[in-house]
Amino acid sequence: MSQDTRSLRGRAAIAGVGVTPQGKLPGSTNLSLQTDAFTLALADAGLDKSDIDGLLSEPGTTDMHWALDYLRLGRALGINPAYTGSFAMGGATAGALVQLAAMAVTSGMATYVACCFGDAAKTGKKRPNLAAGGYLGDESANNSAWGAFGAATWSALSASRHMALYGTTSEQLGEVAVAARYHASLNPAAIMREPITLADHQESRMIVEPFRLLDCCLVSDGGACVIVTTAERARELARPVVTIEGMGQAFTTQDHECPDWWYGPHQKVAVDRAYAMAGLGPRDVQVAELYDNFTISVIMWLEHAGFCKEGEGGPFTENGRIRLGGDLPVNTHGGHLSAGHPQGWWTLAEGVRQLRGESGPRQVPGAETCLVAGRGLVLNTASALLLAKG
Amino acid sequence: MTAMTTQAPTPPAKPRPIVNDENRPFWTAAARGELCMQRCLACGHIRFPIQPLCPRCIGRDFEWTALSGRAEILAKVVYHRAFHPAYASDVPYNLVLVQLAEGPRMYSNVVGPGAAEADVGDQVETVFELVADGLLVPRFRKIGAN
Repeated sequence: MSQDTRSLRGRAAIAGVGVTPQGKLPGSTNLSLQTDAFTLALADAGLDKSDIDGLLSEPGTTDMHWALDYLRLGRALGINPAYTGSFAMGGATAGALVQLAAMAVTSGMATYVACCFGDAAKTGKKRPNLAAGGYLGDESANNSAWGAFGAATWSALSASRHMALYGTTSEQLGEVAVAARYHASLNPAAIMREPITLADHQESRMIVEPFRLLDCCLVSDGGACVIVTTAERARELARPVVTIEGMGQAFTTQDHECPDWWYGPHQKVAVDRAYAMAGLGPRDVQVAELYDNFTISVIMWLEHAGFCKEGEGGPFTENGRIRLGGDLPVNTHGGHLSAGHPQGWWTLAEGVRQLRGESGPRQVPGAETCLVAGRGLVLNTASALLLAKG
Repeated sequence: MTAMTTQAPTPPAKPRPIVNDENRPFWTAAARGELCMQRCLACGHIRFPIQPLCPRCIGRDFEWTALSGRAEILAKVVYHRAFHPAYASDVPYNLVLVQLAEGPRMYSNVVGPGAAEADVGDQVETVFELVADGLLVPRFRKIGAN
């Protein structure tokens, strides 16, 4: 591949993370959740507001088109940044913004970059009821002609084909849900903490077949913030250092024009780019935080990230392998399926906490390297980060 | 509970396709029972969804060409919940991603005999369903099903 990011390996680090309460937070707004998260991350890093000279934002899902989000955020926080902007890449945004921040701090454009997200998706203003993907324009909105509504549409199509080609079963999807819930039961901040069994999954009602209710992520209000600086500066802060060893992004901008779009081929490319920068591979990863908007997402990430071969993601989930104590604990906070839905940001924060050794009862012993991967929109976007204990 | 005379609420109308200058030929063709898509005059690529440029060669010139309507089901999902109120009485209904014989892929629905059992890999052909005044929507039925 022509990209070569190896010179950035280990040069940027996570200085602080903040995750607000998640769930039903009446009265909250996308902005208030962003600023709450910012305050938490600032305290976590032991920094002062005046230290922050970079501000990157992801608009909430109800504001997704609002490119001026960064300006509103800077105004609210009273920060006149040296470097700023807003990006909307769905579940890939968290990882992508941290990568932009890493580029900004290693190039000298900024010293501490706060990456912020807030989304009052549960109790805040509602999105217009467009066809699935309808935000992309008239032709996508016209998917309504075939009744294509709901965020589950794309992933359900992926699951349908994955099951047909590779024999992936509903029970294997259920293993992902059960593992996520088990991890959430160990996380006091998670929304759904009551453990579930495979039978519970199988008995939950169909939503978009092949997905049952327990294959689908939660919708919640919440915010998160991640502050990025150079590894050098991070070593002067109070928190254990977590360095960014690998970064990768990839995109399939088209869907129907790409024959294997349903499989998210760009997700594999994004992870491979992160591995190439880090000089690492799947065997070097002890814990993985993989964007789980639906259970099939985890199964496909396991394949994309090389933890197993293409088509073997289903069997990989069996026998507790992705649970704490298994070969590869995945989504140790409970994921979007059971912890909450701040669009990939909690996933990222959990990866940082695992490497700091702060995850308490859900801590993966000896976690040295974590893969954080995000996917979004109409299976168009992907970002991957390899984080390491500094 | 208080006894009340209630009228069944009128279900909201299903959204009609947004027809514009760019996509009008597709819907006009559908209304006469043809599945037409854009074929690039420079490289011959047949594209879908409808867009001004050929995504393969960025050629601007194209013609509308009628397709055979033969396709294979690549993926199939069934909505058991209506995510739009107008579909509340339609559930369960399916959505398929099909691979057309000429190359493009599109979303649609499988209807007619065998629709419930239709699965990935099945061969299908276009049928046009009248859903509103002047609006025919291309859907697919299983080839060989009775």
